[in-house]
Amino acid sequence: MSGRGGKGFYSTPDGNYHSTRTGTPNGRQSPVDIIPISDSESESEDYFEETSTHSKSNGKAHSKPNGKASSDSLKTGGKTSSFSEGLMGSGKGGKGSASFSVGKGGKGSASNAKPAKSDPELKLELDMPPNSRILMDCEAAEMLQQIHEHMAILSEDPKIKIPESFDKAFQYAKEGNHFTTAKSVKQILEPLKKYGVTDGEICMIANIGPETIEEVYALVPSLKATKELNESLVTEALDALANIKASK
Amino acid sequence: MFFHIVLERNMQLHPRHFGPHLRDKLVAKLMKDVEGTCSGRHGFVVAITGVEDVGKGLIREGTGFVTFPVKYQCVVFRPFKGEILEAVVTMVNKMGFFAEAGPVQIFVSNHLIPDDMEFQSGDVPNYTTSDGSVKIQKESEVRLKIIGTRVDATEIFCIGTIKDDYLGIISDPGAAS
Repeated sequence: MSGRGGKGFYSTPDGNYHSTRTGTPNGRQSPVDIIPISDSESESEDYFEETSTHSKSNGKAHSKPNGKASSDSLKTGGKTSSFSEGLMGSGKGGKGSASFSVGKGGKGSASNAKPAKSDPELKLELDMPPNSRILMDCEAAEMLQQIHEHMAILSEDPKIKIPESFDKAFQYAKEGNHFTTAKSVKQILEPLKKYGVTDGEICMIANIGPETIEEVYALVPSLKATKELNESLVTEALDALANIKASK
Repeated sequence: MFFHIVLERNMQLHPRHFGPHLRDKLVAKLMKDVEGTCSGRHGFVVAITGVEDVGKGLIREGTGFVTFPVKYQCVVFRPFKGEILEAVVTMVNKMGFFAEAGPVQIFVSNHLIPDDMEFQSGDVPNYTTSDGSVKIQKESEVRLKIIGTRVDATEIFCIGTIKDDYLGIISDPGAAS
């Protein structure tokens, strides 16, 4: 798994971006096929590649230019810490990162022309069948609750065994559920779709249950790309979600 | 992340099941075969929510078994890279800790645990900050980010990190709430 630049893309020293498919000698970008990438390593946001197995670094805009931001510990607000710096540490450790590709230490990158895509989004496009519908944890909890009630009747029959993964998934969905009803969450987050927020991102917001907008941008870096569009909307949505949470 | 998807499977039924309850027997067999399994492509099949369509059966030559193509809806759970999950720690050792989120196992290497947390061995092995304010041990709830998944035919295994903003411990079983 490549850690740098990905397959089929390279950047020239003068800072222009080229695809090996359509690279032009004079450095001009092809208007159609080229997908510009930064010359930093946190490229998973920028380009769409089927074989990409890059893990997500914490996003370009997020890392400090010298890539040496202090690595904050748990759940601290406000400071940017470079995920990639931790990976540098693991690189020095010499193991662990080999088979799970993670981006190398960020250098602080130029902006990209293409809107950033998060890994779940990429995966959703690639791997899940087209007729699949993503579910928030709260929606899944409600669905599984209904099935559980049916299963309670079935489980009286000793021949029928309830699979372990059902129990685990049901517990997980119930416990991870911050909100009262899925419907109310959907009503609050649905309008964000009109402003370029994808289903995957909406689900991540619902599942995480963030308290502040900074938390949202830290944990769902792809939203930063459309920050100007969605900042006020996401803030409003967070306030509305906080009301539902409080009433639980 | 949970998904609600439509899958298709060819179910083989022995002639002894043929009769007025053929469809029920087919659905029961489907549930028995599919629920609780994991495929690398779709993730863990948590539960079947409905059967959309049962196609015409084809009698197999020589055996008498009949193959029915069945389309069904199910809830699956599949982790993705970049996803943020809340998981419960199941084991802690000096290499890192294992956590569980639903049916998925996630490993967080010590290289992806913040540098100011150190492994403390003992009866209850844990990772603790230098000032002792934060402790990750068995049954702790942590928020982590998945940075890698390995899929094979029947299993998904994940690697996670807590070395990032807004990640780390949510609740400590030892602390007073």
